[in-house]
Amino acid sequence: MEKTTKILTVDDSRSMRALLRVALLERGYDVAEAEDGVEALEWLETNSADVIITDINMPRLDGFGLIEKVRSSSRHIDRPILVLTTESSDEKKKRARDAGATGWIVKPFDPEKLAAAVRRVAH
Amino acid sequence: MYMDPKLQAAPQRSRVTVMQGMVETTDQSDVVLTTVLGSCIAACLFDPIARVGGMNHFLLAEPNSSQTNADTHYGIYLMELLINEMLKQGAAKSRMKAHIYGGGNIHKNMQPIGQRNSELAERFLNTENIIITHRDVGGSNARRVDFLAALGKARCRHVDGAAAPAAKPTPIPVKAVGDVEFF
Repeated sequence: MEKTTKILTVDDSRSMRALLRVALLERGYDVAEAEDGVEALEWLETNSADVIITDINMPRLDGFGLIEKVRSSSRHIDRPILVLTTESSDEKKKRARDAGATGWIVKPFDPEKLAAAVRRVAH
Repeated sequence: MYMDPKLQAAPQRSRVTVMQGMVETTDQSDVVLTTVLGSCIAACLFDPIARVGGMNHFLLAEPNSSQTNADTHYGIYLMELLINEMLKQGAAKSRMKAHIYGGGNIHKNMQPIGQRNSELAERFLNTENIIITHRDVGGSNARRVDFLAALGKARCRHVDGAAAPAAKPTPIPVKAVGDVEFF
């Protein structure tokens, strides 16, 4: 049997994590959740995900900080990271790209487009 | 230049109208965010420490508790957008407090669309642990809301339902929804 693709969603909004959870579970993905960058890094120390989906605006450690830390760790250096945010400025996209993000998705997200993006980057 | 001392003493307040589908925020203590609501909902958030506040204004056709509903997605997005714009001005989500206004069921024969929208706003705020310190929702009147956002002070006057704009749901910008860009 093929292994289920596991997604780590990182967002400080419980409402948004719930939307993501439902959208991803319905499409056959496994979902783990963290409420900010710090919690995501703690989780990634002992667990693994095939794809990380992260918000930008979060307390303690934001999305940019999370991407930088994940890319500087040896275990997750190649992990696909999709940014999911209300932001769409070129300056912020550039910052995410420079930090090592794999892609950028603008909220409100469309569940089908999100699932297609996950399929494309998961390996 | 001659200035009338009385005028000088009176605080000059500038008013910003928050149209349907819009989000406005301010850290200026003299800015009044204002809107007229029929069935529409306005969520007013403020951070009393950072002295930053903001308001959104929306009406969704069919928000419900289902997480897969497109209107629910868009409603949550409009709430998040308000929070994010306030964060940019120095607010912290953990300190935010909320007022909600509107959601009138102006026309007797209409579906209770106003009520369902106020429920969506309330559900979101409860889920995010943002305390609602004041609510004036439902009923059959329209409302005029003036929100001195940075100070968290609001005035909500009931006006005749006929004065309210017609209940037209906020259009979801379909084309741009969830656009994906790979780096």
